[in-house]
Parts: sequence; C-alpha cells; structure tokens
Amino acid sequence: MNLTTDQLHDILMEYGIPLVQKIMAASLQEAVEAANKLHYPVVMKISSPDISHKTDVGGILLDLNSDEEIKKAYLAMMDSVKKNIPEARIDGVIIQKMAKSGLEVIVGAKLDPQFGHVIMFGLGGIFVEIYKDVSFRVTPIDQKTAHDMILEIKASSIIQGARGQEPADIDAIIKVITGLSRMLEKKPGIIELDINPLIVYSHGAVAVDARMLTH
Amino acid sequence: MTLKPIFEPGSIAIIGASSTPGKWGNILLKNLLSNGFKGPVYPVNPKEKTILDTACYPSVLDIPGPVDMALIAVPGSHALTVAQECGIKGVQGIIMVTAGFSETGDKGREAEKKLMEINDRYHMRLVGPNTLGVVNAHIGMNASIISRLPEPGGISFITQSGTLGLALVDWTMEMGIGLHIVVSTGNKANIDDVDLLNYLASDPKTDVIAMYVEGINRGREFIKAAQEISKPILAVKSGRTSSGSKAVFSHTGSMAGADEVYSAAFKQAGIIRVDNIEDLFDCALALSVQPAPNGNRVGILSNGGGASIIASDACERMGLIIPALQNDTRQKIREYIPEFASARNPIDSAGLATYDVYNSIVKQMLLDPNIDVLIVIYVHTVVNDAALPAQAIVDIHRGKCSKPIITCWMGGAGTRAGIDILKKGGLPNYPVPERAVIALRSLVQHNGFLEKVKV
Repeated sequence: MNLTTDQLHDILMEYGIPLVQKIMAASLQEAVEAANKLHYPVVMKISSPDISHKTDVGGILLDLNSDEEIKKAYLAMMDSVKKNIPEARIDGVIIQKMAKSGLEVIVGAKLDPQFGHVIMFGLGGIFVEIYKDVSFRVTPIDQKTAHDMILEIKASSIIQGARGQEPADIDAIIKVITGLSRMLEKKPGIIELDINPLIVYSHGAVAVDARMLTH
Repeated sequence: MTLKPIFEPGSIAIIGASSTPGKWGNILLKNLLSNGFKGPVYPVNPKEKTILDTACYPSVLDIPGPVDMALIAVPGSHALTVAQECGIKGVQGIIMVTAGFSETGDKGREAEKKLMEINDRYHMRLVGPNTLGVVNAHIGMNASIISRLPEPGGISFITQSGTLGLALVDWTMEMGIGLHIVVSTGNKANIDDVDLLNYLASDPKTDVIAMYVEGINRGREFIKAAQEISKPILAVKSGRTSSGSKAVFSHTGSMAGADEVYSAAFKQAGIIRVDNIEDLFDCALALSVQPAPNGNRVGILSNGGGASIIASDACERMGLIIPALQNDTRQKIREYIPEFASARNPIDSAGLATYDVYNSIVKQMLLDPNIDVLIVIYVHTVVNDAALPAQAIVDIHRGKCSKPIITCWMGGAGTRAGIDILKKGGLPNYPVPERAVIALRSLVQHNGFLEKVKV
C-alpha cells in the first residue's frame, strides 16, 4: 500500500514527528476559513482517494497569500483535476501552512532483508541525489546513535552552521530519527518511507512531505 | 550445544576416505594424518581395509571407540544415511564437505532440510554443507583441503568463500601471519556467523577475528553478538558496488543498497570494515600483536624524509593526527641527530639508522604525552644494517611499552634480517608506509569501538 503525507499525518504526529499544520476543507468557503485560521501564506492540495500524484493533475498550488488567491486557486484546481481524471472522487481540498524556508534534510527508512529496518539521514536536494552524502543505521536507534549519523555525513558542517549561518536544531532532527525508529519497531510492515523534506530551523523542524510503502 | 567437538575434537572419523590420490577423501585424510593431530583418526569406507596405513572401517558405527567429530566427504546420495549413522553413533559435530545442497536449487534445498532434521534429532552441530573444512592450527588439526597447516597464531578466520579462503590461508603463510581457527562456513545450514562469533569470543587462543563475508543471515543477532565481543573483529565484505533496489519508490529505497546497510551494521556492531584482503590480514596482524592506543595522535620516525612524508600524508587522509612533540622531547631528540635534521614530528634522522639513534629517539617519542602510537620507518641503504634499528625497537618493546608501535622496513632483500627480528619481537611490519598506516588506523578504530560500541 502506498500512503502519502496526508494519510500519514496522524501516525507521524503520534511518534513526535512534526508536520506542517493542515485543515481539511470540503468547500470553497471552508478553504477560505482554514487559510485564515492558519494565516497566510498557505498551500492548497486536492484531497481524493483516487489521486496519488497530485502535482501531475494540477492538484497542488503553493504560496497562496489572500482570500482572493484561495478562490482562484480552488476553482482552477477543481477544473484541472476534473479534466485530468473525470472519474476521481473529490473530498475537497487540504489547506496547509506554507513552511518557512530552512535547511532541508531527508529522513527515510527501508526494510532490509538481512538487518530489518534501517534509517537514512542526509541533506536534501543535490546532497542526497548527486553526492549521495547520506548515513545509515540499523534500528533501533537511540539519541546518541542518531547524533552520530547526523554528524557522519560529509556536509555536517552545514548543519552545524558553516559560514556564519545559524546552526540547525540537531536535537529536533534527533527527535525525528528516534521517533521514526520507535514507529518502525511497532510497524514491521513498512517497506520504504521518506520524510522529504524535513525543514530544520535554528529552533525546531517540520516535515513537509512524506510517503510510505507498506505490505 | 557447544562447538567444541568441531574445533577441538578428541577423535575424528573421516567418512568417504579414499585411497585414490587426488580425490577429496584422500586429500582430507592425508591432511588429518600428517599435521600432528594427537587424537585417533578413523577412515571410513566400506570398500577398503586400510588407507594410508590406517585401519579403515565400513561405517562409523563399526568404529570401536567414541567419535567426537565426523568429517564427511561422501557422494551426495549417501550424505543423509551417513549423517544418520553419525547420530546413532553419538557423534557430536559434523563437517559436511559434501556439496549439492541448497546452493544448487530446490531439490538441494529439500535435501538440506532433511539433513538438518537428522542433525537436530541427534543434537549434533554441523559446519556446511558445501564447506572446504576447518583448521585448528594449535592442535595440528587440518580437517580441510588446505595444502599446508598455517603457522599457529592469534588470528581466527571465518570465510564464506571456500576456495578464496583457502588461497588466503596459503598467502598468510607466505606473509608469516599466524592463524588459529580457520573455518569455511559453506551453506551455514546449522552453524552460522553468529554461532562462530560466540564461539571464538570465548576461545582463549583467538585474539582477533577476521571474516570474509558475502552475506549474513541473522543480521540483528549478528550485530548484538559482535557488540558483546571486545576482541577486534575485521571484515571484508564483497559486493561493494551493488546498487540500491531497482524498483524505486523512495529516495531511501534507491540509496539503501545492501552494501550501505552492511557498512552501517558493521559500524554499529563494532566491526572494522576493510576494503580488501590485503588490508584484512595487515590489520589483523597489527591487532593481534599490538595493544589498542589511547587516541589517534601518531608519531613518525624515519631515516629518510620521503617515506615519512608519505606516511604523514596517509595518516591525515585517514583521519589520524600528526601532533607537535613537546619541547623537551624535541630538545632531547636533537642530541641524537645532525643539526640540519628535523626534530619535529615526523622526525627525519637524515640517514642515521644506528641502534643508538633509533633506540633513543623512539624511547623519547614514547614518553611524549602528545603521542598515542608510533610508526617507525627504516629505508634501506647500503651504508646501514637493517638489523640494528630493528633490534633497537624490539629491545624497547620488550620493556613493557603500552603504546603500540607499527614498523615499515622498506627496501626488499636487504631488510630481511631486520624484518625477522621485528617479527620475532612481535612488531607488525609492512613493506610500504600506506599499509602500515591502514593497519595503524585499525588499532585506533578498535579503540574507538571499545569506548563507544562494545557493551
């Protein structure tokens, strides 16, 4: 089974992995109310059990800054989704707080046939994709081990605040790694999982997207 | 049940013994008889009366005395019957050289399952099937097809590849490295890596465990077992280049290839992962004869500047530190070297390599609190005698020095006498500085594991 951020929200929160705040809105009116409650800027995502790749069908719109923009976005999104997948059942939209920019990291998990669940850590973007600068540990992972794996990557000086940058909140990353480790111990059926990106600030961190594959 | 009957048997039956030179049953028997094993060796073959002047029995059940271990090299079709007879006889351990089991496919897997049923029914322990055997150099037991018994030493070697493993044992003999247990694991149907680690952990003659690994079955138990062993464990794991899973769902899935996971697991287990076979035995040698250093600060002495620069470059690349010596150490060292030579770390004696120069400088460096470990290099020239500086180090070493020393005598045949002295004195010697530094790093790594990982 393939699960995405919205379906993973509750379980990740249960293990102390912070996600950006979101509110489900079944109508345009509710969407405007939700955006005002969360404060602008916000993100709008289509909510449908039949759509897994939201971007491909125009089901994600970023950086919305006013009631007016919400209204335009809502109508455009419904239009685009219906054109692309006419048969899709639509529950409404999800209004999500737009995360402030920060240091983007990735925390993921995989079920290894020999060793069971392993957790990966790395910096987001080119650091993981081009340089493959990541570290791994077999679960369960305690705080000390999580700390080691964060400092093990070659670009760890960026996390610690290279070139006058404010250091990122390493404890917040440790909490995500150890929380994920606890979650994996409880859920042996997880095959693969990405929390990507996890945006880390000088205080705190927030997961923006997650996806998971289970048995 | 203990693995002692396999590795330290009092008596051995060799089932499938053969009088035909070149056949495995002949090679195995010859190896058992000709290497000083003290206990009785009973050849078993229904068609022979004696083989190699040794009384032969039609079946293991006909042997009058007790049999601790049976080495089985019969054709595949007889393997199950023979194993059953071993069970009835009260044999405690089997080394099943016979192949054709799970490594061949479904039919073989079925046969292996039946073999294990028999094995478990009689509470036996079994190496293999599809193993090339077991060696215990200290009791002169060569229950394998290795052509020569290795020199006894403190390194035990677990190999998943039979042929490669055996070739390596031959190579360690060339290098003068001593071994204790050598075990070719074969299919690991009963005894696997976890069992072997646990056995070697409590085996008093094993100082260092070296492994050639292709795959581990009980991953988590393996990590736990290794964490509980304070002896150094080294592993070379083949298949480094294999990439992550092909069907990519996530970034993590595409990045977490088996090799990355093994690296992580070894780190968590406190196992030193090395890149190749040369490093495996180079490091095992250093770990088997030298203590763990307290830190990673390296002092270097050489009679030639070039070699010491190569060594310090290699140290820095591998995360080792070349610290400054204390002032008084430098002043004392100046007394022994020409004015133009360098008394800074790395120390270059400007060609001098007499007994007194090496002995005095090394003593001073060992006393310096800035230094955790020493590399002593000697580059051979016709004006020097390679034996003298070697003797100078060995004499210090005998004075119960707790900081490890690695040596590097460079220069081929002319250094032979010196190298022999170093080896007898328990100093690990390497022909080039890079290999010496890799070995040194393994000492530092092991110390790190002792502090952080080992429970």
